[in-house]
Amino acid sequence: MTSQNNLFIPLAIVIAGALIAGAVYLGQRGDASGVTSPTEAWQEEARLAAALENMAPVTAADHIRGSTEAPVKIVEYSDFECPFCKSFHPTMQRVMEEYGDRVAWVYRHFPLDQIHPKADKEAEATECANELGGTDAFWKYTDRLFEVTPSNNNLDPAELPRIAQYIGLATQQFNECLSSGRHAQHVEDDTQNALATGGNGTPWSIIVAADGTKYPLSGAQPYESLKQLIELALKGK
Amino acid sequence: MVIRALYKVFRNPAYVALSLFTGAVVFAFAVWLPNIRLIAAVLGSPEASFAQKLALPISLLGSIATNFTLLSASYTVAIAVLFGINLAMVAYFVRHRVAAARQSGIAVGFLGLGSGILGTGCAACGSFLLMNGLTFAGASGALVFLPLGGAEFGVLGTVLLAVSIYLTAKRIQNPAVCGVNR
Repeated sequence: MTSQNNLFIPLAIVIAGALIAGAVYLGQRGDASGVTSPTEAWQEEARLAAALENMAPVTAADHIRGSTEAPVKIVEYSDFECPFCKSFHPTMQRVMEEYGDRVAWVYRHFPLDQIHPKADKEAEATECANELGGTDAFWKYTDRLFEVTPSNNNLDPAELPRIAQYIGLATQQFNECLSSGRHAQHVEDDTQNALATGGNGTPWSIIVAADGTKYPLSGAQPYESLKQLIELALKGK
Repeated sequence: MVIRALYKVFRNPAYVALSLFTGAVVFAFAVWLPNIRLIAAVLGSPEASFAQKLALPISLLGSIATNFTLLSASYTVAIAVLFGINLAMVAYFVRHRVAAARQSGIAVGFLGLGSGILGTGCAACGSFLLMNGLTFAGASGALVFLPLGGAEFGVLGTVLLAVSIYLTAKRIQNPAVCGVNR
């Protein structure tokens, strides 16, 4: 075997690695030209990092589970018809059980209406629950909605008032609220904010440390990953 | 024929190692893909200890069970395994018959990997690479019209890699020799 031939294995690895890295990078940039300079690449990275700063500040108007004074806040942008949001919900519930007052869970809407047209109205339904019964009702409604939805746009809309009734809300008032569409703008504002922060799928979460450092987390990641990030964010006190 | 070619290649431990390494890299990349920015941020964070810098990427590998459907997890694993096998076979082939390398299934294999990467994350809500590309093209709603919501690309990638392995095995089993004039 010649030494020249021996070079082919590492060469093949390098080509494969370059191909994968190229595909990933182009995919992230969404750039059809495929041509970029290191400066442009750096600017793009900086833009993505800066996008997190577009996150609307957490205020009393948000839906917060846990203490508002918690050193770590997890802002989750979610879609009620997304199966991954459904599976991520118990993960977040476990976080709240384990971390108590050290973590605040902030829920914001990010319905992907192109693939889940029913998710918009479902998000509005949770806002109606909030209007009629406050934060507690919002979370009860949210928990129940994730429990009963089969996901992927398969929830029967007739379930929405049934859930309201299940958690003890007045169905007639709930229906009036839902049909009025008065919370549609709130849902839209949350969605626009999710996009502005760089969210391109759900669930999209931003873990905010006490020192303001923001960690983006895309997808329904395992509890262990979330725990690692929370521990890191708690260090930033 | 494929089995005999596989035996020929993988009786050399160097090719087994190459295949395992490549498969592991492809798998890790596919699973980390949605959170590359997060991993980079944590690795570069002065707050994070060495153990945390190590633990986060490892824990994110678990998302194959939480952030993938059964179908997408299956083809992600299949693509990683097949690409590892494919690359090792191509490396073997290239080392033994450089001149005929262009005739092997290497291009098909890379097409398979490319397609597989497009499919990665498509099953996740909002998808990742494919959705970004389609959004750029102003046609992200097109995913609605794909029966498997974009997973077609992952399945296609798996098939292309299998074809590539078959083509490479065929080349390995059929020596590139000059025919005898009779």
